[in-house]
Amino acid sequence: MDAILKTENLVMTYRQGKVDVHALRGVNLTVGRGEFVAIMGPSGCGKSTMLHILGGLLKPTAGKVLVDGEDMAAMGDAGRTDVRRRKIGFVFQRFNLFPTLSAEGNLKLAEDIHGNGGKGADAETRREVLRMLRLENKMRHKPLELSGGEQQRVAIARAIINRPAIILADEPTGNLDSENSEIVLEMLQKLNRELKQTIVMITHNPEAAAVAARTIEMRDGMIVGER
Amino acid sequence: MDSLVASNIRQRPTRTLISVAGVALGVLLVVLNTGLVEGMLNDRIRRERGIGAEIQFGREASMLSPSSSNPVDVRYAGRLRRIQGVKQVSPVGYYVQSGNSGLGIEIVEGVEFDSYAAITGIKIVEGRAFQADDDVLIDEFKATHGKLKVGSEIQVFGKMMKVAGIYSPQVGSRIKLSLGALQRALGAENKCFSILVKVNDPDKQTEVQQRINDELPGNKVILTRELGLDFGREIPGIKGFVRAVLALSIVVSSLVILLAMYTTITERTREIGILKSLGAPKRYIIGVIEKEALAISLIGVVVGLVLAVIAGWALERATTLQLEFHWSWLLRAALIGLGAGALGALYPAVRAANQDAVKALSYE
Repeated sequence: MDAILKTENLVMTYRQGKVDVHALRGVNLTVGRGEFVAIMGPSGCGKSTMLHILGGLLKPTAGKVLVDGEDMAAMGDAGRTDVRRRKIGFVFQRFNLFPTLSAEGNLKLAEDIHGNGGKGADAETRREVLRMLRLENKMRHKPLELSGGEQQRVAIARAIINRPAIILADEPTGNLDSENSEIVLEMLQKLNRELKQTIVMITHNPEAAAVAARTIEMRDGMIVGER
Repeated sequence: MDSLVASNIRQRPTRTLISVAGVALGVLLVVLNTGLVEGMLNDRIRRERGIGAEIQFGREASMLSPSSSNPVDVRYAGRLRRIQGVKQVSPVGYYVQSGNSGLGIEIVEGVEFDSYAAITGIKIVEGRAFQADDDVLIDEFKATHGKLKVGSEIQVFGKMMKVAGIYSPQVGSRIKLSLGALQRALGAENKCFSILVKVNDPDKQTEVQQRINDELPGNKVILTRELGLDFGREIPGIKGFVRAVLALSIVVSSLVILLAMYTTITERTREIGILKSLGAPKRYIIGVIEKEALAISLIGVVVGLVLAVIAGWALERATTLQLEFHWSWLLRAALIGLGAGALGALYPAVRAANQDAVKALSYE
């Protein structure tokens, strides 16, 4: 398998007051290029911490995080930010769109940060991505003018606009009703199928996990099973 | 315009308005104060230079910073008159009072009308010269702007005096009374502030200046044409005052922007987290906040300049104050406004850029 994401003996320990909290206790995970992986587990099992480490938002206490061959655990904040900018797209449970910008504005911002704000950016690509996510008539709408499902689809469009190596989705259906959850999951599946987009998704929902090709179960900071 | 900077400015109108007002206030302070200093000083320099006397004789104090202390003995006038090359002399006394409009200061000159008129060429265009101690003369500018005419009363020495006549052209101070009346009012008999000296041959004024220095050493003998060459040096403390105004405006503008941006950053903690999750480096986040502060400051600069021009026009209409807006000061005021905005936003920007991404994303 061509691994695009690999962790080796990943350990994360927080200091909370005078107590050490062991969020991750030696996690070894490999995700192949173009794979759709779901990570499941109860609250507090360390799955969100792992997603933040995989996205370079946190630095692990020990171990390796190889993203497309680059070890983010060995990098400082600036290095991890650079890898995140070039190779990772985030989708959050709470959408995390800029409320003052339109759907297209949110996409443009992501392009600008990625460095495509200049000649690389083109309106046609944005329209194509929004069309793929069935949002072509919502380009000028601001987040508050969109339904939850539409907002999450804009967030997915923002995550893929720069064609990242990996999409990290943190409970992407956690704030949606079943109908919109279905649409969002369908979109993620479509991206994975049609664009060979690598997706790592955290979820509580077994139905959501079912759309992934592989499901990893976590408990107490460790991987305890795989389906 | 669908950019983060523009949309933030539009979406937070109260914050934008307060910040714009803060920067505008700083710009207004700089432009109005420097405009007033330059305007009043240049107006005075113009009137002093047009006085007709090539030389002014006095003590060490600057000839452009008159005070109510009149240190020169008028008997110097007789000695000056005897110096070769001197054609005419006229002692002048000063009294400094607050402006009748309540703004600024006003200088009242005590003169011997005949010798003064012989040197300066002033003529009474309405009314007559002073005859009594409570008679004053005013120039046409004062008459027009003060809405005064012959027979009107104005306050001098804290009491009402009568306008006996109006003179032209505008030279020296705008209010004049007899030197004797001024000396009696100040209890300074035989004293004056300076003595105007007219020479026979203006081309030889330097030689006459040298002769006066030789014969009456220890006094200040200056050529009228050199008045105001360096206005910062002419009036003690003027540079300090201008600097204080500049510092004050920088502090006011910076603080307003700092507080506004600090509050904004706190409100937008989650948005900073989103930027970080999108891979925005620290310099990008600092850039976004600085651009926003600069855009707000630019609006503040424009508003401040417009307000300054309007306020200057209103002041000139309502008072006898003179304002001069020099482009270099307008430019400096604009740069101060922009610089203060950028400076004020720097701390909030750096603080935002250093926020923990995970904590910022979970901020409610």
